[in-house]
Amino acid sequence: MRKYLTVFRVNWQNSLQYRAPTVIYILGYTLYISVLLFLWTAIYGEGGRMGPYSLSEMMTYYLLQFVINSVVLSYVSWEIIDHIREGFFSHFLVKPINYFAYWFTINLSGKLFETVLILLAAAGIGLVVGPHVAFPSDPRTYATFLVAAGLGLVLAFELEFCIGLIAFWLIQVRVFKYMLQYAVFFFAGTLLPLDLFPRALAEVAARLPFQYLVFVPIQIFLEKRPAPLADFAAAGVWIVAVYLLARWVLARGIVRYEAVGN
Amino acid sequence: MCAVRRTFRLYGSFLAQNLKNEMVYRANFVLLVGMDLFFMGINVAFFAILYANVTTIGGWTFHQTLILVGSVGLVREAAYLLFRQGFLELGDYVRTGQFDALLVKPIRPNIHLGFRHVSLTESLGEGLMGLALVGYGFAHVGTGWAAIPLYVLMLGVSLVIYYAFCLAINSAVFWIIKSQELNSIVYTFMETARYPRDIYRGLGKAIFTFVIPISLIATVPASVLAGRLDWGLIALAVIVAVGMMSGATVLWNWSLRHYSSASS
Repeated sequence: MRKYLTVFRVNWQNSLQYRAPTVIYILGYTLYISVLLFLWTAIYGEGGRMGPYSLSEMMTYYLLQFVINSVVLSYVSWEIIDHIREGFFSHFLVKPINYFAYWFTINLSGKLFETVLILLAAAGIGLVVGPHVAFPSDPRTYATFLVAAGLGLVLAFELEFCIGLIAFWLIQVRVFKYMLQYAVFFFAGTLLPLDLFPRALAEVAARLPFQYLVFVPIQIFLEKRPAPLADFAAAGVWIVAVYLLARWVLARGIVRYEAVGN
Repeated sequence: MCAVRRTFRLYGSFLAQNLKNEMVYRANFVLLVGMDLFFMGINVAFFAILYANVTTIGGWTFHQTLILVGSVGLVREAAYLLFRQGFLELGDYVRTGQFDALLVKPIRPNIHLGFRHVSLTESLGEGLMGLALVGYGFAHVGTGWAAIPLYVLMLGVSLVIYYAFCLAINSAVFWIIKSQELNSIVYTFMETARYPRDIYRGLGKAIFTFVIPISLIATVPASVLAGRLDWGLIALAVIVAVGMMSGATVLWNWSLRHYSSASS
């Protein structure tokens, strides 16, 4: 456990040292979310309505998506790919450290600084659109939302880890990585709430694990999920399944690994 | 005039050189085009889902919006053919000191930077799909062919605004040394340009016109083709383009003096 604490601390210090990129990234994403909030205001102002969502629910959906995008979703595949491609992975073959746990720790510690910033940015936007935020009526909802987001965080990392491992098989992995990552985020509900999809697509999305990253936690916050416990159980099953998948892929990958570079 | 001709000739040489380079990696070309089509497809799906629920957004119909989305693709492809890729690599040049080489050539460093890696394929899928979307939308809105010259002209004005924004943001590279995140802002800038200007209100509208002019980039050219021509808006876009280009050039030239020529 202590070695992972060290990894956590070192990477956390690292992320503090390079603050500017995170700040710039958050500024860019704030711009994007602001534009979407203008979009929904304009649509509802014209008398339009997006399916079952009121304007304040729509605003809340995207404000939460803004936070979840940084806090829950994982982006470590980029570093994992470099690691494998440039041969740094060799170090891990001879060290008593679990590759999965190592990257999970990196993933968590890399998020700390970003989480602080994103919460500040969200609070800033919240002040402007304040009257339009749909807060839960039942205080217990906050707790269930946090649990759902926590499960989403674990599942998001596992999926991202698997995407990173593709580098064992493909050299030119950049394009696939982007498309896979985006497909995951699309079916997670980052672009649009999944229940607004056309029926056939919505049914597909409802059978995939990706909904537990973004859509389900937000639905819980909006008190639109009748049985959060069933969601927790389903997310738990997926977490175990994807974990086993990740271990299997890693084991196969090690066999393929050519230790290029270092 | 001689300088302009020389710039064109130089561009021709850079383009020929880079095209030869790109032709070598054919698999990469197919992958890039495939990725662009995938992302453009998702953009269209997004608007298709919106329009399944509403009839207009900011007064724009679905077909008019397709012209808007397609125009972003066209401006992006034009940008990659003229300057965009160089800015993505700027951080590396500054960090390694390679930027020195750009400063001593008999051509403006920002022009050289843009030209040295012009790319046809990097955004080709988006450009082609953009053209298809604009064509499809145009065929449905029933505006006359006479609108096309002004549309192309306004795409040019948007390209100037895009370039000015890109240059201004990248001026910070001499302090930050990394350009990846700076260019993610430039990327978001174009990503958010595909919503009609009419959705913005109040302070947001002012900011998205004069500071981060995302409300002009696609809306102004698209409005010409979509039968929503507004001369006031055209004039505004030209004024913003001239203003931003002047401001960005001054900023860039001032920032150049802070280049510390690392490690060379």
